[in-house]
Amino acid sequence: MAEFGVATPSVKVAGGKPATATGKALSVVALRKTYGDVVAVDEASMEIAAGEFVTFLGSSGSGKTTTLMMIAGFCEPDSGTITVGDRDVTRLAPQKRGLGFVFQQYLLFPHMTVSENVAFPLTLRGVGKDEIRRRVGETLEIAGLSGFGGRKPRELSGGQQQRVALCRALVYRPPVILMDEPLGALDKKLRDQLQVEIKTIQQELGLTVIYVTHDQEEALVMSDRIAVMRNGLIEQFDTPRELFERPRTPFVADFLGAANFLPGRIEQHTDAHTLVRLDNSGGLLKARRHDLAPGTQVKAAVQPGRLRASASDDGFCTGTVETATYVGTLVRAGVRIDGGDAPLLRLEVPAGRGPVAGERVGITADPDDVNLFAGEQAG
Amino acid sequence: MELRKTLTGRIALTAVATVILLFLALPIVVILVTSFSNNAFAAFPPEAWTLNWYKALFADGSKWPAALSLSALVAALSTVFSLIIGVTAATALVRSELPLRSAVFALVLGPLVIPQIVTALGLFLLFEPAAMLGSPIAIALGHTVLASPIAVLILIATLRGIDERLEDAAASMGAGRLTIARKITFPLAAPGMIAAAIFSFITSFDEFYISQFLSSVDTVTLPVRVYNSLTFEIDPSVTAVSAILIAFAILALGLVALVRWLGSGRQDSLLSVETATGIATPGGEAV
Amino acid sequence: MAATLTAGAPARPRKLLASRRTRAGILYALPVVVYLLVLFVYPIFSTLLLSLKDADGSFTLHWYADALTGVNLSVLITTLRISAETAVLSLVFGFVLAQAISRLKPILAGLAMLVVVVPHFVSALVRTYGWIIMLGDKGLVNETLTAMPVPGAPFQLLYNELGVVIGTTSMMLPYTVLLLYGVMRGVDRRLLAAAASMGAGRVTIFRRVYLPLVAPGLASAGLLSFILSLGYYITPALMGGPNQTMIATLINQQVTKENQWNGAAAQGVILLVLTLAGLLLVKLVSSLGASRKKRNAS
Repeated sequence: MAEFGVATPSVKVAGGKPATATGKALSVVALRKTYGDVVAVDEASMEIAAGEFVTFLGSSGSGKTTTLMMIAGFCEPDSGTITVGDRDVTRLAPQKRGLGFVFQQYLLFPHMTVSENVAFPLTLRGVGKDEIRRRVGETLEIAGLSGFGGRKPRELSGGQQQRVALCRALVYRPPVILMDEPLGALDKKLRDQLQVEIKTIQQELGLTVIYVTHDQEEALVMSDRIAVMRNGLIEQFDTPRELFERPRTPFVADFLGAANFLPGRIEQHTDAHTLVRLDNSGGLLKARRHDLAPGTQVKAAVQPGRLRASASDDGFCTGTVETATYVGTLVRAGVRIDGGDAPLLRLEVPAGRGPVAGERVGITADPDDVNLFAGEQAG
Repeated sequence: MELRKTLTGRIALTAVATVILLFLALPIVVILVTSFSNNAFAAFPPEAWTLNWYKALFADGSKWPAALSLSALVAALSTVFSLIIGVTAATALVRSELPLRSAVFALVLGPLVIPQIVTALGLFLLFEPAAMLGSPIAIALGHTVLASPIAVLILIATLRGIDERLEDAAASMGAGRLTIARKITFPLAAPGMIAAAIFSFITSFDEFYISQFLSSVDTVTLPVRVYNSLTFEIDPSVTAVSAILIAFAILALGLVALVRWLGSGRQDSLLSVETATGIATPGGEAV
Repeated sequence: MAATLTAGAPARPRKLLASRRTRAGILYALPVVVYLLVLFVYPIFSTLLLSLKDADGSFTLHWYADALTGVNLSVLITTLRISAETAVLSLVFGFVLAQAISRLKPILAGLAMLVVVVPHFVSALVRTYGWIIMLGDKGLVNETLTAMPVPGAPFQLLYNELGVVIGTTSMMLPYTVLLLYGVMRGVDRRLLAAAASMGAGRVTIFRRVYLPLVAPGLASAGLLSFILSLGYYITPALMGGPNQTMIATLINQQVTKENQWNGAAAQGVILLVLTLAGLLLVKLVSSLGASRKKRNAS
């Protein structure tokens, strides 16, 4: 298995060098695609390092799939460039790009056995018979499919079929493997399991993966970096932690953490923090330092899990617990804030210490968990 | 009361359905049996059995071998023509952008819905002035008018059944256009192409109207010979020929069913309504 | 999301790719289009021209006048009558058989469907010959009837209209069974269950729910077998007498025996027009059925 991680010298990626373990694997500059009047992808740019697991995350219509299809070559960009390694592939046919692709619908060749499917890209590259047998065997073993080589795809379950599709895409060690919602057709339990498997294989073999999904949890579990996309724009391209803790737009804060948004006005700055006077409760909220001028209308975003409820009256606001739902280890609470008719404030607190409905609480938050966005930025 | 009504209703329905099935099957069974009877004309059931009518087919001076070989030649030619037309047309209709697509499709359906006698008359008016009556090529060209639409419909259904993205998947791994056609599309389309070939062949082999209009005295296809021997010259061997034609049709259908069954990954059972109706309506919903 | 692989809204930069696909499409469509234009459309067009040409080449309608008077007219009427009889009988038998098959267990249904499908692919000529053997004075049918014994047997079952209609009906039956079986499979059984749950009896369910649901399919099947019968030639010629001459027989006689091409052409055009009118009606009925289904669904 460890031996597999070393790029085999006999693998020739069409017209290019095998991917090296470090450096830039793929870059995209100012990629743009329109369908009639609709801008599907708007000036997308990013650099992806070798060995990185990158996810395009967004709802349908966000442009994530279009971007992936342009990288794969199934769809031609209006403008911009795509570089794999040092090679400009923007106008190349898919077969000349040397990339790997895993489709949501598996797309295994129904007339070939599992082994023949996995061997297919190797036979295209003129790899010798013994070498093919060895590498197909190794790859199937990595995916836990030893012994399935002689079966036809339709004799396998959905999860097994997708594992075969994964094997078929990685057996020839393409510099980048593209995956289009590969787990979208599977049920939740199998999806969770395969997420871990794919991630493990990716790390062990040092694969560079670009992954498309609309599932935040999946993106957070698997990715080194996530590009959050909306309306054809990359809203933010960062590590999961940065996206979660330092969202750059209200959309990202809401999309990843379902944040509470509290309208207010900047009162003053201290050395480390910014103080915001909240519109509804009139309370003073301490947030991370922000450079907006005092008096500016802002929205303060706090994830439900980062708010704390205490029995006392301290905190930036007080209220009454209206709903408290136990969801396993957590309690989800909705708090009606005193003064003003703001929407319920959503809290997630560990079960056991959770508030009960009807209880009076004060709400606090660590200033580092409070992000400010200028008021005109749409939520 | 309700139960008895249902039961008697059921029995009545089954009885009537059985009679109708006999109505369909008996003419065929009767020929198969009579072809081995010592009285080839109409007496049923036979009093004694014989192979004489089959032997007479290939006796010296028999006109049947010539008719049979002409029909086989014509059918083989039409099959080749129909497959070429079928593969290209189905590719155009399923896998390309085609202006006037529905007009082209209507044109393809035309020969299937217009009375064959009208098509035959038109072909006669085309080939008679060209002095091509009796030419096997002319008859094959005529038969292709009827056989090629069937091939097109079967191949349209075949190509629609092949996920186009399988070709994308192969391309993503580096397969060129020719490799994709050879290693992916062709193997997957093979059962459909075999079915198209069989149906084209049998359409031409059994065709009567066009053959009759385009025949000359010397070149007569098997169905025209059968018709003539039923109307003019009384030849007891016609029963044997008919039996052979029936066996041939059953064989061809069995082959199509087998190919479909293998091609579908043996999903339906070989003997199922789906298989039977699938064979009978080769173009599926396109028809 | 407009960005699947099949996304095909042709935008400007995509034009290059789209036009390549269009060029390929036109190239691939060329064989079938050229072939059928030369060997199907052009011949029919020249038939039409011939039917409008007098002996000296001038325009005339008298071939049509001929075709619609005297003996020719009665042949046309016979054609319409026999086709109508055939359509009704094959529709009724087809309905019963399809109904019975749709209630059978899968294996039996498959077998029954095989009995329907196999004759469909045996040459009509051969099946007609089978009927001639069966319906003769000493054929299976008359022998059986005499043995039963049925008074009056043997009957004259050949070379009259009864023989022709038996023959053509057996030729059309596979079509109607296949069509109606498809229609019946398309009926949502839950609707019938719903009607039963509201207290409707079997007859009421059949008449008020089932029949209206399958009616468009029935109409199409009947019309189709009518149209297909119009151009029939083998069975009427072999199983009928002089009074059962149909239009196709007449066309054939005029070409092969009387060398009267213009008259044959005019009759061919009449047959074509009748067929196209019938097809138009089929289309109308099926679009009616589709719109009704849509209304039911919404």
